[in-house]
Amino acid sequence: MRRFWLVVLATTLLAPAAAALEEGKPAPLFSVPLLDGNGTLSLADYRGKVVYLDFWASWCAPCLVSLPLLEELRREFPGDRFQILAVNVDRDSEKARRFLGERPVGYPSGADPEGRVPERFEIETMPTSFLLDGRGVIRHVHRGFRRGDVPDLREQIRRLLAQDAR
Amino acid sequence: MRRSVLLLWLLAPALLGTGCAAVKPWEREILARDDMAWDPDVLEAQRQAHVYFSKEASLAGGGAGGGGCGCN
Repeated sequence: MRRFWLVVLATTLLAPAAAALEEGKPAPLFSVPLLDGNGTLSLADYRGKVVYLDFWASWCAPCLVSLPLLEELRREFPGDRFQILAVNVDRDSEKARRFLGERPVGYPSGADPEGRVPERFEIETMPTSFLLDGRGVIRHVHRGFRRGDVPDLREQIRRLLAQDAR
Repeated sequence: MRRSVLLLWLLAPALLGTGCAAVKPWEREILARDDMAWDPDVLEAQRQAHVYFSKEASLAGGGAGGGGCGCN
């Protein structure tokens, strides 16, 4: 009887607590179909570049703010050393395609309606972005998005590009 | 027997709690809709709250406020 209660206790109370992905940890590799249907988006293909990985959805209000500003950031840095990648988590990818039709961006966006990739990155809020160095290590986690965040992001990217150049 | 009943009472919340499902951040599409907000019109809600605590502050309504003169 005692053993039974111990098992009940262990299975209900001692469930493993998730540890959020943070700076210094390697980003999990993933591959998802591109939103436009032309191929796949694989993180491994961008090894060697500083990558800004953004999780977004068409229903997420701060994403409306972030997409055009990220597009501006993308143009500020050399494309052979810096890459913005996006993973859309809309359950209906058509909504994301409509969204991008109205606000086109020049960086690739993958579709993950099942939410498998954000699950692996253990994101806690929408939108969340990860700044990765050339080795694929997470160097900065950006939760939420406000217009005023851009100068800080720009500085972080600049610093990371300078470090990777050494 | 009494110990088992006691244990059952202690563990009942934990057992029931396992039936709860957390909504992940990327699953909040429906929750993000305007008609799911407490106050669909934020500006109007703030205006009403301001009028309310201005009028009711003398009766300690609406939290900290002025003297009920409606001038704060």
